[in-house]
Amino acid sequence: MKLNHITKTFYPDSPKEVKALTDINLTFNKGEFTTLSGESGSGKTTLLNIIGGLDSATSGQIFLDDEEISAYSEKKMAKLRLQEIGFIFQAYNLIHVLTVRENIGFIMKLLKFEDKEIESRILELASILQIENILEKLPGEISGGQQQRVAVARAVASRPKLILADEPTANLDSKNSERLMDMLRTLNEKEHVTVIFASHDKYVLEQSKRIIVLDDGVVIEDR
Amino acid sequence: MYKIAKHLAWLSLWRRKSRSIMVILMIALSLSGLLAIQGLYDGMITHMINTTIRSDSGEISLYTKEYRLHKSLAYKLSPVSKIEEKLSKIKEIISHSVRLQQEGLIATAHKSLGANIKGISLEKERDFGNFDTFITQGDYSFGKHKKEALIGATLAKKLHLDIGSRVVFTAQDADAEINAISFRISGIFKTGNPALDEYTVFVSMEKISTFLNLKESATQIALRIQNTEQIKQVQKKLQTMLPELEILRWDELYPLLIQMQEMMQIFNLASYMIVFIVAALGIFGVMLVSVLERLREFSIMLAIGTPYKMVRNQILLEATFLGLIGFMVGALLGWIILLYMSTWGVDLRSFEAGLETFGLNAILIADIQYYYFVQAFFAVFFATLLSVIWPLRILKKIKAIQVIQGKML
Repeated sequence: MKLNHITKTFYPDSPKEVKALTDINLTFNKGEFTTLSGESGSGKTTLLNIIGGLDSATSGQIFLDDEEISAYSEKKMAKLRLQEIGFIFQAYNLIHVLTVRENIGFIMKLLKFEDKEIESRILELASILQIENILEKLPGEISGGQQQRVAVARAVASRPKLILADEPTANLDSKNSERLMDMLRTLNEKEHVTVIFASHDKYVLEQSKRIIVLDDGVVIEDR
Repeated sequence: MYKIAKHLAWLSLWRRKSRSIMVILMIALSLSGLLAIQGLYDGMITHMINTTIRSDSGEISLYTKEYRLHKSLAYKLSPVSKIEEKLSKIKEIISHSVRLQQEGLIATAHKSLGANIKGISLEKERDFGNFDTFITQGDYSFGKHKKEALIGATLAKKLHLDIGSRVVFTAQDADAEINAISFRISGIFKTGNPALDEYTVFVSMEKISTFLNLKESATQIALRIQNTEQIKQVQKKLQTMLPELEILRWDELYPLLIQMQEMMQIFNLASYMIVFIVAALGIFGVMLVSVLERLREFSIMLAIGTPYKMVRNQILLEATFLGLIGFMVGALLGWIILLYMSTWGVDLRSFEAGLETFGLNAILIADIQYYYFVQAFFAVFFATLLSVIWPLRILKKIKAIQVIQGKML
C-alpha cells in the first residue's frame, strides 16, 4: 500500500479549520507489523481511517496493489473493506444479537464462503485465540478481553490482506493486552497478514516491527 | 445476504421483547377493532339491502311508466298473465311476485291513519323472499276465507292493534268509487323497511282485486335474479322486451341505501386511516429508537464492509416482521370477533327504538369478507414501509467512523 501526499483538513475554509495530516508519504509492504504512534491529536487515527477508506483525504492518493483506491466510490470502497481489510476498533465492536460463532463468521458469510469452510475457520481461530468455550455465548455474556479476541477473529477470518487496529488495547488490562498482541503477532507470522495499529500503548510499540511516529499531522520518525 | 439480514432482523426484533410486544399488541388491537367495525357496518347495510329486496323491491321491479309518480290505479300493469309469460322466458329470473297496491285510510273503532293496502300471494311471497320469517306475532295466513290481513308492526302499534283485532280499510277503487273493506288481523310483521312496517297492510290478491274492481292487474311485479352480477344484464333484456314499462333495479328504487353504503365506506376509510396512523406511529417509534440505540452497531457493520443495502434490508425486515406479526394477531382476533358477531350478532336491544328508525334490527349481524383482511394487510404493510423512511434516512446520513469514535451520536 502506497500513500502519496496525503493531506486531511477538517472544516476547510472556515474559522474552525484544522489540519490533521500534512503531506504524508508512506509505503506499507506485505506482512508488515506496523504501529502509527504519537500523542493524542497527532493524526494517527485519522491516518488509519483514511488508509481503511473510512474517511477520505482532502488531497493525495492511496494505492493498493498499484490501483488508486482513494478515487473509489462509497459502494466500491465498502466492497474493498469487506474483501481486503479487517478492522479492529477500541471496544464494543461486535454485533450484539449474534453469538460469538456467528460474529466470527459474519464477514465470511457476507463473502459467501461455504458453510463448511466458515465452520472450520471459526474453530481454527477459536483455538488460536483461546475462545473455543465461548462460541455459543452472546457478546454481552463475555468479558471485554474476550470480546476483543472475538473482534480479532472476525477481522482475520476471511484472510484479508490488511488489518487495521485502532487502539485495540485501550480498554484492556495489561494481561489481556499482551495476550491480544501475542495473538495478532502469531497471526501476522502464520498468515502473513499486514497489520497496522494506531496506538501509543508501550507494549504495542515494543511488539511492532516498524513504528511511524506522527506529530501534529506530520511523520517525524519512521523506523 | 438477504438470509443474513433476515436472521439479524428477527434476532434484533426480540432484543427488546416488551417493546416489540407492545407495538404488536397496539397494531393487533386496533386492527381487530377495525375489522369488527367494518364487518358490523357492512352487515348493517347488507341486512338493510337484503330485507328491502326480500320484502319489497326484489333485485328488479316492474311498474308502468307513470305509476310511481301518480300512484293511481289508472297506471296499472295489465294483463299480468301476458307479462308473466314474457318473464318466464328469462332464465335468470328465479321467482317473481305480483302485487296490487292502493293508498287509503285504515281505521279502528278509536283511530284512523293513512296506509297502503297491498294484495299479495302468501305462497309466492314465501318463495320470493321468505316473507313468513318477518312475522313477529300471529300467523302467516289470510284465514280460511281470505278475510284476514297482515299488518306492519309500527302501524299496529300506532293503532293499538293485536292479533284478532278488526280494521276497516277505505280506498278509491278503479272506477273512482270510495269503498270500504273489513279485515281481522292474523299476523304482525317487521321487515326493517319503514315503508312497510309503518304504512302497509297485506291482504290476499283475490280479495283486493275484487275490492278495487280490477282483474288481471297489478301495480308492481318484483323479480328475484339468480346472480347479482346479472341484474344489469336482465334489466337491459327487460327494457328491450317490455319497452312500455319502467324497469328499475333495487338501488334505483332505494337510492338512500346506496348513499348509506357509501357513507359506511367513508367510515371504513376513516377507520383504516386511524389504524394506518396507529400502526405507522407505533412501528416508527420503535424503529427510530431501535436504530438510534444501535447506531454504533450499524456503523461498525458498515465500517467492516457490510453493504448499506444489507443494513437497510435488515431494518426494513425488522419493521416488516413487527407489522406482519401485528397483522396476523390482529387478523386472527378480528376474525374471531367477526365470526362471533356474524353468528350471534351484537345485541343492541337497549337502542332498539333508535335503530328501528333507520330500519335496523336490534341485533346487528356482522358480515365477513376476505377483502377486509387484504385491505388491512396493505394498510399495515404501507404503514410499515412509511415508518422506516426516517430511521433509514438517519442511517444513510451518518458517517460510520464518526459514530464509532463517539463524535456523532
